[in-house]
Amino acid sequence: MKKICNLFSFIGLCIMAGVYLLFAFPSRMRKKKDLYVFACDEAELPVQGVRQYYIDYPLRGRTVTKKFFIVNTGKELLVFSSVCTHLGCLINWHRTENRFMCPCHGGQYDNQGNVVAGPPPAPLNRLPLKIERQKVYIGLRV
Amino acid sequence: MGKFFEWLDRNFRIKKPHRRFLYRSIPEGVNYFFCLGGIAFALFILLFISGMMLAIYYVPSENEAFASILRIDNEVRFGWFIRSFHKWSANLFIVAIVLHTIRVFVYKAYRHPRELNWIAGSLILILAFASGFTGYLLPWDQKAYWATEVGTTMARTVPLLGPYLCYFLRGGQDVTGATLIRFYVIHVLYIPLFMCLLLWAHFHLVKHQGVKGGL
Repeated sequence: MKKICNLFSFIGLCIMAGVYLLFAFPSRMRKKKDLYVFACDEAELPVQGVRQYYIDYPLRGRTVTKKFFIVNTGKELLVFSSVCTHLGCLINWHRTENRFMCPCHGGQYDNQGNVVAGPPPAPLNRLPLKIERQKVYIGLRV
Repeated sequence: MGKFFEWLDRNFRIKKPHRRFLYRSIPEGVNYFFCLGGIAFALFILLFISGMMLAIYYVPSENEAFASILRIDNEVRFGWFIRSFHKWSANLFIVAIVLHTIRVFVYKAYRHPRELNWIAGSLILILAFASGFTGYLLPWDQKAYWATEVGTTMARTVPLLGPYLCYFLRGGQDVTGATLIRFYVIHVLYIPLFMCLLLWAHFHLVKHQGVKGGL
């Protein structure tokens, strides 16, 4: 009898823990979707070097601002997300050092997005770029 | 002993059941470093009281959290003082707990028969860190936001479960108002509750096993 009681209280506790976890876990695990957002006119693209852009786009009824960089290496245009691959801070471009630097833990990237110093485990995320009728669109995953 | 306390004791009988706690024998070789645990507990009580005061004016919402902090700082009488008090008590609380842990370690007070008390103390240390981390988001300013962004991204480095853990902590993909409410509830409800239970267990074991004296 005592064994059965113990078993039932154990099962009850397990069910309660399960219900709690299911309740507290956010219910909508939203799939990220690709979205092309207008960034600037083609004439505003950098001729040489790095330029910083801010774009606003709507997300779930509110406006979100995103910072990113467009690099013209002379051969091609590269678009980089400003999110550091280490722990998600926003990097800045330092022209004097010719590097992207993260203010949080000292991660550094060159103008191709490769890690040159600090803790980041991967190069900067490259974003797709689309030019249509002299307008530049950036592909974001939101 | 005051007259009031004697009257209270006559009616409420508070002294007799706590006799073993109030009149304890102290071993030899005790010094002022043995006060660190008591200092940490005193700071916990101060945090509890100042936290109860701050909770009257704080609004845990995405749009109003920072505004309510400004109101506490600028409009509420002694608001700036209570907020600073809570902040500095929290810092000193962590310092006192860490020093207390070092004292226990140096005096080898974690050894048998006190291993369970060491475990309880470790859980209290973890809860104190968790309280500091969740409380850091509540002002909802730039520093709070980015500290939480970094802190919750760290959870992602856990093998296999990492992304789910991060999602669970944030209450969504990004740090948003859902994260703020989660952290607020953990900070004001979950942690103080479990902290009180663990502190009671910690003190019960100290009472039961006595203080370990000198080196």
